[in-house]
Amino acid sequence: MTKQGEILLDKVTRKFGNLTAVNAVDQVIEGGSYCCMIGPSGCGKSTLLRMIAGHEVPSSGRILIGGRDVTRVRTGERGTALMFQNYALFPHLNLTDNVAFPLKIHGLSAAERREKAREMLGRVQLSHLADRMPSQLSGGQQQRVALARALITNPQVLLLDEPLSALDEFLRLRMRVELKRLQNDLGITFIHVTHTQPEAIALADKVIVMDHGIIEQAAHPKEIYDHPHSPYVARFMGGQNVVAGQVEAVAGDSALLRGAEGGRFRLPLRAPAKQGAEMRFSVRRDKISLSPGETAGENALAGRVTNVEYQGTFVKVELATAQREEFVVYLSDRLFFARPFDFGDALVASWAPEDVCQLIGGNNSAGDALAH
Amino acid sequence: MNRNRAAQVLATPMAALLIAFAGAPLVMVVALSFWSFDGLEYHPDFTLANYVEVFSSAVTWTIFLNTVKYAAITWVLTLLIGFTVAYYLVFHVRVLKVQIGLFLLCTIPFWTSTVIRMIGWVPFLGKEGLFNNALIATGAIDRPLEFLLFSDFAVILTYVNLFTLFMLAPIFNSMAKIDRNVVEAALDAGASPAQILRDVIIPLSRTGIALGSIFVLTLVMGDFFIVRVMSGGQSTSVVSAMKNNIDQLYYPQAAAMAVLLIAVVLILVSVILRVVDVRSELAK
Amino acid sequence: METKSKSLSFWLLTAFFVLFVLFLYSPMIAVFILSFQGPTGGMTFPLRGLSLHWFTDLFTSSRYGDLGGAFQRSILLSLLAMLVTVVVSFFAGLGFRRRFWGSGALFYLAIIALVMPGILTGLGIGTIFQTLGLRTNWLVSGLGAHLSWTLPFGLLIMFAVLNRFNGAWEEAARDAGARPVQVLGMVTLPIVFPGLIAVALFGLTLSYDEYPRSLLTVGTRNTLPIHVANLTANVTTPALYAIGTLTTFLSLIVIAGAFGTISLAARKRR
Repeated sequence: MTKQGEILLDKVTRKFGNLTAVNAVDQVIEGGSYCCMIGPSGCGKSTLLRMIAGHEVPSSGRILIGGRDVTRVRTGERGTALMFQNYALFPHLNLTDNVAFPLKIHGLSAAERREKAREMLGRVQLSHLADRMPSQLSGGQQQRVALARALITNPQVLLLDEPLSALDEFLRLRMRVELKRLQNDLGITFIHVTHTQPEAIALADKVIVMDHGIIEQAAHPKEIYDHPHSPYVARFMGGQNVVAGQVEAVAGDSALLRGAEGGRFRLPLRAPAKQGAEMRFSVRRDKISLSPGETAGENALAGRVTNVEYQGTFVKVELATAQREEFVVYLSDRLFFARPFDFGDALVASWAPEDVCQLIGGNNSAGDALAH
Repeated sequence: MNRNRAAQVLATPMAALLIAFAGAPLVMVVALSFWSFDGLEYHPDFTLANYVEVFSSAVTWTIFLNTVKYAAITWVLTLLIGFTVAYYLVFHVRVLKVQIGLFLLCTIPFWTSTVIRMIGWVPFLGKEGLFNNALIATGAIDRPLEFLLFSDFAVILTYVNLFTLFMLAPIFNSMAKIDRNVVEAALDAGASPAQILRDVIIPLSRTGIALGSIFVLTLVMGDFFIVRVMSGGQSTSVVSAMKNNIDQLYYPQAAAMAVLLIAVVLILVSVILRVVDVRSELAK
Repeated sequence: METKSKSLSFWLLTAFFVLFVLFLYSPMIAVFILSFQGPTGGMTFPLRGLSLHWFTDLFTSSRYGDLGGAFQRSILLSLLAMLVTVVVSFFAGLGFRRRFWGSGALFYLAIIALVMPGILTGLGIGTIFQTLGLRTNWLVSGLGAHLSWTLPFGLLIMFAVLNRFNGAWEEAARDAGARPVQVLGMVTLPIVFPGLIAVALFGLTLSYDEYPRSLLTVGTRNTLPIHVANLTANVTTPALYAIGTLTTFLSLIVIAGAFGTISLAARKRR
């Protein structure tokens, strides 16, 4: 049974000459859910968003919204509304006329559409500025107008193209709450493109992680955080260390890995593994304990401190280990300041096998993940 | 492809008009230069006689040299004045509104009649003109300066008066786009004002200088009216000689000179455009 | 710049600027003053009394030929040139937002039209008409010749205007359901309107003041600049300056009107 606002992507592809921006994407986004699409620049998320909006036409594949095939339907007639990255407010119209614009296209009379527009401006707390011009507004205010203009046509699906990137940190966090609340009130589908991981996991019912035109993983944020699909997802979503090794032995549903310079790791298997195969796993940075020492036992790595960064509620300790990749530990501030570490200290980082996740997917790229 | 086709359609009226009234006439003039003239009228033909006549005539070269001389001197003067004024407006006048206001002040004469602005110099520079009278009154000279009017001086003075704006406007436009942070970074690094001028400002204004140069050079080289009036008929330019031919209906000969002139102008322009890619700069 | 040297160079440059402005305006001022020359005065200084004699002479004497007719033709021609230039440049500018096949060639054709000496364009057009057996006429060949001068300017201005134009506005309009014509009329046009005023201003004044191209293409009925240029050869009275003053005032009114419109549109936007 197709719910209103449900989006079905059926092998949606978009090519630009020789470049494939979106590669045969299949996905179902439930109606009324909040979905975030995330990935580095060029991964195809914006192109996919624009195809759902109707501003780009897929090279092949189908897009269904609310059960209706809208692949070739003009934008503006498919029940979607796009909120542009830089708001794209009409500079020659005041706020009321900006918000009323879609209604003008639909043929409403001036009095009627202005009244509806004012009502919508009231809902985003901007009634007192109804007669101002966009250039007189701050970034946060412009964004709310853009939102009002998008919502006035009662779309089934609201598409947001990096809506919070142009705001400063403080405003961004505030608006995040507003967006979530709004989506809850309206009950329509939100698709929100971002490149900021904390934003995605804070807002979404489903996070779609993309890379080079394909969907790496699409799941609830907690699922992605606890069980990332591939090394790329683990690195991109952050908060995880990726450790590499070679399978030495397989025993039932667990495996023993041998890592560089004699590291030994035991972990539960999610997918079958062959002896001798290369394998990577992720371990959450906040689930690692640190103690001074030089030799590591099982499920541990030895290393030297290369960076210490205070983050308020926790401290980031970075180690140089036998692993060629960076290895970072989040230590609670209480634990750290009980026994602070310094640059160059020799430490052993250890963890429990239950806190480890075997990385099944093959994508081993680093992406352009924002460090956080 | 659909969008590109639509773009072509949008540009078609412009293309049609320009081809009809600039492209075709150019081709016509080139063709005309190969036609023959039998003393009374001209006939479609293919002869190099006109070119032979043009190239072999010593007068042609003198006239060309004269025109090039005017163009070069005018170019130097308008460049120096235009650049200095633009520099003053952009870097010394801080308030934007005043900048634009002063710039507009300079452009107002442009909107009025060229002919009038030209003849206005006569009462100014003549033997009994304002300038001479003022100088005599202050005792700087005893007798009026004769070279002020109906001379090369007058011609170049008028050129500079009328055409400096064409140099000023593009340079002003280019300079205004220079990021102040770049200038400040240069100051920070210890550069002197002269060095900043040479290494930062001039290179970053090169589009404006190029455009302005194209305008000024082609305007001077294409002039026949100003040179005639302001030199009192003593001096002449290429186009002026052409006009004489045209007046006497020697169209093919005029066309041959024209082709020569256009060739020189186009070479000049393409050299300038090679140095500065104007189309992509305009896209900023 | 240090404050000390700023002062010196600032004042030097200011003095230079003032001299420059005086230099620019001198001929206009001379013409203006001399147009009020007394009835017995000549074309140079000194002024022998102040009067409106030469202004009235313009309208009453027959020495000045069909001044009124030339004026009317110039006005009509420049209005036509302005309208055509605005419409054609607007659409061409929109087209040039993409690099379509032929866009490079068209751009260079516009540059060629710009740098070609006017009299050559006139010669070419005149000869074409003659070869085709048509008579040159100020409304057809004359208009075409003027357009060959105004259109490149219009195109360059549209380049400058549209480069600052954000395509997202048009996309937002489409997203709201607007069809292409609606996007053009309700979003694109109102936003680039000040630029169009600038194109109109250039089209109007360039055409009104145009001389070399008009010479061989207006046929038997002269435009005002040609008429005035002819008068400079024959007329030796300050009436010539009176024409200059009147023409200048007309131009100034037009410019004021144009800038007034632009600032009105800009103020509405603020």
